[in-house]
Amino acid sequence: MSRRPNDTKPAKARTAPQPRGIRQTMSDLHIWAGLLVGWILYAMFLTGTVSYFKDEISQWMRPELAHQAEVPDPALVAARIAGELQTVAAGSPQWSIGLPDARNNTASAFWRKPGVEGRRAFQSATFDPATGHKVAARDTGGGEFFYRFHFQFHYMPVLWARWLAGFCAMFMLVAIVSGVITHKKIFIDFFTFRWGKGQRSWLDAHNALSVFGLPFHAMITYTGLVTLMSLYMPWGEQAAFKTPAERQQLRAETSAFVQPGKPSGQAAALAPIEDMVRQAQARWGRDNINRVTITHPGDASARVSITRGDEGRASVSPQFLLFEGPTGRLLQAKDSVGPAAETRGVMYALHLGRFGDTVTRWLYFLVSLAGTAMVGTGLVLWTVKRRAKLPDPERPYFGFRLVERLNIAAIAGLSIAMAGMLWANRLLPLGLAQRAEWEVHAFFIVWGATLAWALLRPARRAWIELLWTGAAALALLPLLNALTTDRGLLASLRAGDWIFAGLELTLLALAALHVALAIRTARHKPKLRPQRQAAAARRPAAPPPPDEPVGEPALQEAAR
Amino acid sequence: MSHAAVSVVSLLAFALLALAMDRHQQDLFGRELEPRRSRALRIGGWAALLASLTIAVDAQGWSLGLVAWCGHISLSAGVVILALVAWERRKAR
Repeated sequence: MSRRPNDTKPAKARTAPQPRGIRQTMSDLHIWAGLLVGWILYAMFLTGTVSYFKDEISQWMRPELAHQAEVPDPALVAARIAGELQTVAAGSPQWSIGLPDARNNTASAFWRKPGVEGRRAFQSATFDPATGHKVAARDTGGGEFFYRFHFQFHYMPVLWARWLAGFCAMFMLVAIVSGVITHKKIFIDFFTFRWGKGQRSWLDAHNALSVFGLPFHAMITYTGLVTLMSLYMPWGEQAAFKTPAERQQLRAETSAFVQPGKPSGQAAALAPIEDMVRQAQARWGRDNINRVTITHPGDASARVSITRGDEGRASVSPQFLLFEGPTGRLLQAKDSVGPAAETRGVMYALHLGRFGDTVTRWLYFLVSLAGTAMVGTGLVLWTVKRRAKLPDPERPYFGFRLVERLNIAAIAGLSIAMAGMLWANRLLPLGLAQRAEWEVHAFFIVWGATLAWALLRPARRAWIELLWTGAAALALLPLLNALTTDRGLLASLRAGDWIFAGLELTLLALAALHVALAIRTARHKPKLRPQRQAAAARRPAAPPPPDEPVGEPALQEAAR
Repeated sequence: MSHAAVSVVSLLAFALLALAMDRHQQDLFGRELEPRRSRALRIGGWAALLASLTIAVDAQGWSLGLVAWCGHISLSAGVVILALVAWERRKAR
């Protein structure tokens, strides 16, 4: 911040005779690395951003489940759900119960089907913490879809998709590093935003969004890669841990989830789960219990492991208590892992941000939204920079048209698609077969429709129309909710239900953002290049008809 | 409560740092301040930034405090640039 623009410039000009410096090379790398994966990155960023409120979105998507004014005692809930699983998952070698917390009004459980191995062996259900029975709510994937989509997309094999996400994240990392090197005046221009200067303004916005959030952007990209590191770089692990026992040991350092061993065959009733959870509560706090996992319930070899919640520690490394099932005796208290495993645990936690209080979660959301806007402005900048140089603005070359249209669908279209899924959540008939899947199909159908729209309409009109559509789709969601449920915005506010009210107020704020963007786009007049400006000044053109793109006829006129 | 304090102090920090820069002095006062004043503003800005970090770490510990602080400074820098833009726009009108 101590450098001044005029101190260094003359000296630099004298000592830099080579035509292509590192900055130019890095700039090219930044532009093309960013463009190639920009559309996917934008979608990963935006769906990842809303995933910070995944639990709240899930609650909103299950309006049948009443607002949880107070978190029910996890010890009682765990005992209740375990009792229910005796019948729901009878004979299963393993149950795992996820407990409700301040952001989650349901208990969830998954269990192994008896006698089935591998990935398909698991079944899951959502339970009402108060009754212990399966919830009677609409069939929905909830906010989980955005979270899953953000790193494994949809309609494609999970492994391929995760590789694709990793590829894009790697490019993002390249774009961040090359972007910092390219940015000539990162300190001098730190607070600079030149309004209404066309390309310059876009660049300033892109820079501000990138630089201010730089700690977050670098962290989130790097830690994102770390979350899937054993997929991307398995070789170290494979070389170091060869036997199944060693692998088991490695897993214990990164996950509290235990594989069930062989049952003894002797029947023995489980000791009360409630008492075991009480011990965990004494250690970590009443509401800081994450899961209760039971292996071989009803067998003499039963084990109960209780894992700590995310609150209060920036690490996901396993911390758990292990109890002997039939006696309830504490066998093991795991509360630390080795330094390598802890490094991973911290990075993983930093990415998820689940440890944060409400304010920290909002900070995550807002800075991540800035990251989304960083990718978006970068994509738009590519076209803004080239539009001024087009030989014939009426007929741009194919690459330009492709980028321009994909930008519209990827940016304006995605908002509509995401809102569209929430619309589908309220509008699809409750009895529809595979209803949860259809919510997701609706997301892609709407997204596809916006792409078609972007291809068929003049680019500027498509931007404006889709931004207005996005604004309407978001702004009308609270109204739709008020019409289809008895938990409208006013009722939520009155009841102090800040999960519903907060989500809908956020939708309205996002709608306002879309309105602002739509109005700015509609008002925008592309800047003419100086010689064209001069030509236009000599021969003033009549004001363009209101429906025509404002800048293009003027440009054409000037170019003639 | 500590969040509010971190937010306010880091906002102050970035405001001072912006005021320490020639370009924004031109925009806000129509002239550049004396180098001595600019330096004082810059030192004040960095000191406030350090103070906001201290508050965050003091309240939440290194791990959670540092994370929250990073979020707060990103947001505060954004607020300062928006304020500068709003100021410019008002002046231009």
